[in-house]
Amino acid sequence: MTKNLVIAAALSLALTGGAMAADLPSTITFGSSMQLTGQDANLGRYYRDAYQLVIEQINKAGGVKIGGKSIPITLKLVDNQSDNNLAVRQYVGLVTQDKVDFLLGPYASGTTIPVSSVSEKYQIPMVEGGGASPQIFARGYKYIFGLLPPADDYFASTLTMLGQLQPKAHTVALVTADDAFDVSVAKGTKKLLAAAGMEIVLTQTYAAKTTDFSSIMAQIKAKTPDIVLWGGLEPEVLNAIRQAKSLDVNPKLLMSFTVGVPAADFRKALGNDANDAFGMTAWLPSPALKDTWFGDAEKFAAAYKAKYGYDPDYHGAAGAVAVETLVKAIEKAGSLEKSKVRDAIAASDFDSLYAHVKFNAGGQVVIPQIVIQIQNGQVTPIFTDKFIGKPVFPVPAWSKRG
Amino acid sequence: MNGRWFALAAAVALLAGVPWFGNAVLIQFGINALLIAVLAQSWNILGGFAGYVSFGNSVFYGLGSYGVAIAMAQWNLPFWVGLIFAATIAVAFAALLGWPILRLRGPYFAIVTLGISAAMSALASNLDIAGKNVGLILPLTRNDTLFYEASLVLLAAATLTVAWIARSRFGMALIAIREDEDAAASVGVNATRFKIAALAMAAFFTAIAGGIHAYWITYIDPAGSFDTTLDVRMVIMTMFGGPGTVLGPVVGALVLSAIYEVLADSISKAAALFFGIVILVAVIFLPRGLVDLGGGFRVLRWRYFLTNIRQYRI
Repeated sequence: MTKNLVIAAALSLALTGGAMAADLPSTITFGSSMQLTGQDANLGRYYRDAYQLVIEQINKAGGVKIGGKSIPITLKLVDNQSDNNLAVRQYVGLVTQDKVDFLLGPYASGTTIPVSSVSEKYQIPMVEGGGASPQIFARGYKYIFGLLPPADDYFASTLTMLGQLQPKAHTVALVTADDAFDVSVAKGTKKLLAAAGMEIVLTQTYAAKTTDFSSIMAQIKAKTPDIVLWGGLEPEVLNAIRQAKSLDVNPKLLMSFTVGVPAADFRKALGNDANDAFGMTAWLPSPALKDTWFGDAEKFAAAYKAKYGYDPDYHGAAGAVAVETLVKAIEKAGSLEKSKVRDAIAASDFDSLYAHVKFNAGGQVVIPQIVIQIQNGQVTPIFTDKFIGKPVFPVPAWSKRG
Repeated sequence: MNGRWFALAAAVALLAGVPWFGNAVLIQFGINALLIAVLAQSWNILGGFAGYVSFGNSVFYGLGSYGVAIAMAQWNLPFWVGLIFAATIAVAFAALLGWPILRLRGPYFAIVTLGISAAMSALASNLDIAGKNVGLILPLTRNDTLFYEASLVLLAAATLTVAWIARSRFGMALIAIREDEDAAASVGVNATRFKIAALAMAAFFTAIAGGIHAYWITYIDPAGSFDTTLDVRMVIMTMFGGPGTVLGPVVGALVLSAIYEVLADSISKAAALFFGIVILVAVIFLPRGLVDLGGGFRVLRWRYFLTNIRQYRI
């Protein structure tokens, strides 16, 4: 009895390697494994939508231009169900079976780290807009390129802005969650604060998904720092602001948060209490960001909303420009040869709907965060490397707000 | 008997040859499927033979992952030294853990095992040497054949160990504990000691599987290493194949992995749902596992399924 079953098991193993896709020379194929179901599906869909929209737009304009020919792009997108092991297998499948020409990244650092090993093993360039962890780029890999700015620098533009404002900020409370991303934020911010000559009077790390911040708030109240810098996830930031209000915790100048502030849900959840909060975003759909295929970022955002019914945020913009980076590099290299395209990506230097794309030695873009503030329920851009809006500063105490 | 051995040898040879005639995707799938089969087979030692259902074996997998990752990423030691280190800490942890919790019986034991992995995950995310919540990066190796064959050798070793257990005094003692622990004790079986030995064996193989996986995927973090869904999967796969048998967990793990892969490829959105249906059907029609089907079906034909349903009053 056992022999039949063993053979059956071996056969079922063999069967799974079956499906093959034809590699047509008349089209260039980009492959990606994305979280379309499972716990990360919400954000995974942003990237799928962005990939599809931009490829449609590029094909409408004739496709990729190599040596006087225009070749359309095909997207081969598979669902990894938010499972890292499956994502690794799918990328190997995209490379070896579907024989895709180039790779687009998945969502999130946790998945990007293992799958970047696949692009490195097979020496096929992968451009991703979903993982910001410095660990992706610290390994000396040559075939992975990332479009999200490094976590270390999130507060850089905020601190530059504070240097140009009166009254000057001297004392800081730095509060961060203990997840991988925010640990990097804390590490980088400490360096930035030392360089700016500010004194850290309170450093607090809390367990990710914490909901009760009353003891942290009590400590902030006791130290009364000039500014509070907060690195965490959106629900944590929401609770922090609610509790700061109910416990009447007021830093002298401002509170700034790594996430949440640009999101519409955030403003809806907090109502008037969201006002005056400082935050940051890597991207705003501004007409100043010129783009080869869409014209500018504002037109991209409009096309995106028309097609999918919701506004894109920086995830979608980064995903779209991951595709553009590959196309620009192929056109510049004038070939589909992997190593030539890889070198062309590394030398990227162009304006896009997302940002000016230029990679550092590790393969990650360097984009300054735009400082934003909620004013009268609206996201107001304040500062890039210069002021582009007028801040409400210093932020009034809770008791003095309307 | 000879025929069966021949078939087994042929199956092993076929599996061993996959890196030469199979494609890269099959090798990737093979590594995952063989490693989860090792977990199922290890779980089978205590769960299948002694009847102690553990929902905490993923802790050994996590310890193995971290053992190898710490040895390689933090101390720059070679892979094989990492594996020895990983196996040592996992076995030591099993012995330490087994002493108090294996005095508990039945559901009490199962409940205690539930929290272990989460606790260890919290510990790892606070230790500097384990990279805290950020995790650890291992060096990249371009040798998937090595990982595949290492996984296969490990599975063969685990299966041979279980084959030995099935016909040894040790195995008899475990079965005696499963059938009636008090009676076993009354004829001189030191139940706690046997159960700890069984858990330590499971820890050994599970940890090495975790170590191989860590080096292969080149990145570990607390959530991915102390993955409690593994606990459920190893139990389901063992039950599906046939608990307390030598080949059941292996067949169960490989067949279920293959079914899952096909479902994930063809109907990704509903894959989890259909997978659930497969398990449900298996529980109703094959309560003693897939390996029981061959013999039972030959004797009873289609009545085999009916008999199962009646016997277990489903």
